[in-house]
Amino acid sequence: MRVFVRLLSTLLGLALAAAGVLLALEVAWQWWRPQDAPLLVPWPSWRDALEGTGWDSTTVRVVAIIVAVAGLVLLFTASAARRRDVRLTDPAPGVTVTTSPRSLARVVGQHVRAQENVTSASVTASARKIRVRATSTLESEQELRPRLAESVSGLVGDLPLVRRPKVSVVVDSPRDRR
Amino acid sequence: MSKTASVKAIARSYGAERSLTFVTGLVALLAGAAVLVLGFGWLGTFRAQRPVLDPEVVDWIHAQQPVMLRVAAIVLGLVLLVFGLWLAVRSLRPEHKPDMALDRTQGHGLTVTAAALAGAVQSDAEAVDGVTRARVRSVGDDEDPALRLHVWLREGTDLRRVWQDLDTHVLARARTALGVEKLPVAMQIELGSSERKRVR
Repeated sequence: MRVFVRLLSTLLGLALAAAGVLLALEVAWQWWRPQDAPLLVPWPSWRDALEGTGWDSTTVRVVAIIVAVAGLVLLFTASAARRRDVRLTDPAPGVTVTTSPRSLARVVGQHVRAQENVTSASVTASARKIRVRATSTLESEQELRPRLAESVSGLVGDLPLVRRPKVSVVVDSPRDRR
Repeated sequence: MSKTASVKAIARSYGAERSLTFVTGLVALLAGAAVLVLGFGWLGTFRAQRPVLDPEVVDWIHAQQPVMLRVAAIVLGLVLLVFGLWLAVRSLRPEHKPDMALDRTQGHGLTVTAAALAGAVQSDAEAVDGVTRARVRSVGDDEDPALRLHVWLREGTDLRRVWQDLDTHVLARARTALGVEKLPVAMQIELGSSERKRVR
């Protein structure tokens, strides 16, 4: 997402620059030699078309919808391009330590899979919350869940995280379906 | 609270790019919505039927000083050009890697290049037990440079011990070698990475 925002802002910058050049050129040209206008952009025909189009015409509505949706997409892209680093406590003044949510999830996943009776596990993590989904063919959710939650909390508590994320554990076991 | 140098060194700032994309998106959304509101006649059915290029607006423009309007339009165009180019260049420019100037005296200048600094700290960091890979680069501006370390740790490594080692050996050594009191550092640690295996 961050690379995409960088690309978008480059394109936006180029579009603004091009629009600025065309505006300045057309105005200056029309001022200097009115009989030879337009220079590059066929603005007189655009003007005539706009004079004949009402605000309630379908074209205007369609264009407005497209512009609004594109604006919404830009808003979402800009908001999604933030960094999701997980801060660790500073070991010394002037040193800032972070880790990625992915590696936090990897550590928790390795830990959960090493537990007894866990068949498989998937983990998603952020600085605020760690979600564990484990499957077990041998133990029911009632038995396994408290044990897993406790051991994951212990593991996370051992890491020097700035804020302790909430841990939620879901166990999927065929024993519960009988 | 302003960000400290080490917090700023975590990653390249995307503040300008993100806010600009955000503002453009907001303007587009509001403009589209406003045109739809106008077109559906919620501001009056008669107003919705008027042409987009309203004759009243055209008359008003014709009543203005033509020289003023033209100069204003040309200036606006030039401002847009400069701003757009600045934005494009800023977004495309790679992040600056500052050299570290140890002595700025005229004729006695002493500079450690960014590559030399990064290479030295990187080999020090990779020598720490438990570190599989390290990437180091200098960031920030020439006046006060900072270091960005990206460190991959082997599975099951004790994080606190590695920290201690990195701080006492690697960073302290860099500080003494460069003779600086403080050297802001941002460390990104990847936990539990397995060593890359080559398929034969």
